[in-house]
Amino acid sequence: MRKISVPKIAPSKIDVAGDAWILHVPRLGKEGTHFHTYGQLTPYFQELARGRLMATRCVNKKCPVSRGKGPKWLPPRADCPDCHQPMSWAQIEDPRGYIYAYTYVERGGTGLEIPCPYYQIDVKIAGVCTIMKSYLVGKGPVKIGDKVRARFRTRAAATHTCLDLYWELE
Amino acid sequence: MSQNGVFTVLTEVFVMSIFGSLAGKTLSELLKVGDPAPDAASVDRDGKIVWRDLCASTKEQAADILKVVAACNRGAPLAVPIQRSIIDSWNARPAGLGHPDRRDDMIEFSPGNLRVPRWTRPVYMVAAGFSDFRKRYPEKKLEELCMMAFRMLLEENDLKLDPLEVKGLINFASYGEFADHFQDQLLCEAKVHDYLGLDLLPNVGVKTGGATGGSAMLVGATTVASGMSDCTLVLGWERMDEVRTWTGNYYIATAACKDFETRLARNYASYYAPMARRFQEMYHVDERVRAEIAVKNRQNACSSPFAQQPGRHTVDEVLAGDIVSDPLRFLECCAMSVGSAATLLCSEEVARRLTDKPVQLYIAGGSHTLRTGDRRPMRIPLLPHETEEGYRWLYDEMKKHDGRWPGFESFAAARFAAYMVYRMAGIQNPIEDLDLVETHDAFTISDLQTYGDVGLTLYGREQEFVTSGDCYLKNPKTGKPGRCPANLSGGLLGTMHAVGATGIFQCGEVLWQLQGKYDQFHGDPKLWARYGKKKPADWMSLQVKDPRRGLAISHAGVGSHVTCTVLEKA
Repeated sequence: MRKISVPKIAPSKIDVAGDAWILHVPRLGKEGTHFHTYGQLTPYFQELARGRLMATRCVNKKCPVSRGKGPKWLPPRADCPDCHQPMSWAQIEDPRGYIYAYTYVERGGTGLEIPCPYYQIDVKIAGVCTIMKSYLVGKGPVKIGDKVRARFRTRAAATHTCLDLYWELE
Repeated sequence: MSQNGVFTVLTEVFVMSIFGSLAGKTLSELLKVGDPAPDAASVDRDGKIVWRDLCASTKEQAADILKVVAACNRGAPLAVPIQRSIIDSWNARPAGLGHPDRRDDMIEFSPGNLRVPRWTRPVYMVAAGFSDFRKRYPEKKLEELCMMAFRMLLEENDLKLDPLEVKGLINFASYGEFADHFQDQLLCEAKVHDYLGLDLLPNVGVKTGGATGGSAMLVGATTVASGMSDCTLVLGWERMDEVRTWTGNYYIATAACKDFETRLARNYASYYAPMARRFQEMYHVDERVRAEIAVKNRQNACSSPFAQQPGRHTVDEVLAGDIVSDPLRFLECCAMSVGSAATLLCSEEVARRLTDKPVQLYIAGGSHTLRTGDRRPMRIPLLPHETEEGYRWLYDEMKKHDGRWPGFESFAAARFAAYMVYRMAGIQNPIEDLDLVETHDAFTISDLQTYGDVGLTLYGREQEFVTSGDCYLKNPKTGKPGRCPANLSGGLLGTMHAVGATGIFQCGEVLWQLQGKYDQFHGDPKLWARYGKKKPADWMSLQVKDPRRGLAISHAGVGSHVTCTVLEKA
C-alpha cells in the first residue's frame, strides 16, 4: 500500500461580499465561471485555512429537540432544522475521531482534484451528531474503528474548499 | 380520515368494549361498537378484514387484541406491537442509543406527519411501453425514443380502443427527466410533449434524482386519484451519451453535496461504497452475496429484448473484475443509459373501458438527507409483520459497534415509503403478500440494503433474501418457485438505468407480469428484430405463475428520495 501524500491542488479563487466568500467554479472558461457563495457557512472555510475546525450547535432553549444544549453539527448549518433559529459556532479543539466507514477510490469522475487511488473516509467525532465525509492522507490500509486526527491545508496551501480538511491515522 | 385515525389506534376502551361480543359481526357493526379509529380495520376485495396500526400498551392487551381479531375474521395480524400508539413507536428512543436525557440527535415526528395517504378514488394502470435501452443511441433523437415508448403503449397493449382513441382520453402528462445537463436542454418536457402531439394539454416535469421515474408515477397517480384527470400519461427518459462516461459520472456526482462531498469523489459509486463497507462488516456479509445479485440480474436481462447489458457471468468473474471504489466492482455498478419508458394511469371507469386486465396502483414516497452521515438515529419504524422484540438482537448488536438506524446500512426513506404504501394497499407481510419485486439495483449494495427497508427480510438479515434463493424465479436451492422473484426485468444492472425512465420502466415490467404478458413483450422474435437483435435460441420465459401483487422501488441519491409502488391485479 503506497503512502498517500498531501495532494497538490491549485487554490480556488474567491471573491468577498460582506461576510461571505464566493468561490469561483470555472465551467466554460472565464466568462462561464460559476460564482458560488458559501453564505453564512463562510466562517467554516475561513477557519479551515487557519487550521481550525468549526461546527455549529443549537443553543435555543425553546428548541423542542436541542432544548438549548444541542450537539455539534458537521458539516455546519446556519439554522437549526428543528426550531429554525440561528445556530452558534463552536470550535472543535484538537479534532480527533475514528473511521466509521470508508472506501478506497480507484476511479473518480472528471475534474477530481485528489489523485486516485485514495481513501475517502467517514469520521465519527465525539460530541458531533453527524458523521463527516472527508479523505485520508498518509499510509494505509485502514479499517473501521481506526483512530484519526485532523490536518489542514492552511494559508497559501488552502484551496478554500472542503479539501482543506483531511485526516491522518493516529 | 380523522387525523386521530392514524395514530390513536385501538384503545383499551375499544378493546374491552368489543371483546367477547364480536364473533360473527360484520365490519359495519364492528365499527359501530366503539367507533374506533376508522383506519384500524377495512375490508379487502375478498371480504377479508385487514387490520392496520394495531398496537397495545401491555402484553396482555396485545394478546386480547389478537383474540379479538382472530374471533372476527380470518386475517389476524402476525403480531401486535407493545406501544401506546404509532407515534410513540416512531419517536421512541433506541434502547441504549443516543443521550438518555436529551432528544437532540434524532428526527421527531408529529402525528400529522404520519398520515397515511388516502386518495379520493382508486388509480389503475392499463398499459406500458418502452424503447430499447443502449449505452449509446446515436440512431435516434431523444424525442424519437420517447415516441417509440408512446407508440408501444398505445398500440401493443391490447387496449379495447384504437390507439388514437386512447390518446383522445389523455388529460394530463407527468414527465420524468433526471438531469438537464446530460441533455443540455432545459424544458425538454415541452419538446417531448409537442413531439408526441399532446399540445395543449397540461404537463409537469418531475425531478428527484434516481427516483425521478417513481416520482413521475406518484405525481401522475395523484392527478387521477384527485379527479384532476381520468387518464394520465407518465413518461420518462434520459440520454446520457452526449458526454464521456467519466464526465457523466461527475454530472451524477453533482447530486452529492456540492460544498462538502462532491469534491471527495465526483463518482457516485464512491458514495455507495462506504455503505457497502459498513454493511458487510456490521452484518457479516460475504462479498459473494453482492456478486450473486449482479450475476442474477444480468442473467435475467438475457431474456429481455430491451436490455442494454445482458450477460452470463459468474460470481468469481464479478469479484475478479476491476474495482471502481472499494469494495464495488465494475459489474456491480449500472452503466450510462439511453432510452424512454411510459405508462398509462386511469380512473376505474376508463380502465374498464380500455382493458379487461386493469391493475390497481398504490404509491407512496419518502425522503432523507443527501449526506449519509447527516442521518440522525432513530428507532426502527415497524412494518405490520415486525415486532420490537424481533429487533432486540439488532439493537444489542448496534451497541457493540456504535451502530445506529438507519446509519450507513439502511434507507429510512425507503422504510417510510414502504410503511405508507403497505398501509394503503393492505400489505401485512411483504414476502407473503408480494409475488414479485423490482428493486433499484443501481449498485448491488443498494439492492441488498433495500430488502430490509421494504420488509422482504428483517433488518440485519438482508442477505438471506439472496442466500435463501427466494429472489429467483425458480429457487435454485429448492427447485420450487422463489417466494418473491426480484428484478426479472434484468433491473438496472442488466437492462437499463436511463434515469428519468427507470421507475416507470419498473412499473411497466410489473404490470406486464400481473397481466400475464411477460412472454408477449419479451419473447416475440419480431420485437428483438425491431431493436436489431436476434432472440436467443436458449431464451427463457421469466413469467411468474399467476402473480397477484408486485412491488417497484424507485430510489435516488444515497436514499434521498424513494417511492414504493404496489401494483395489484384488479
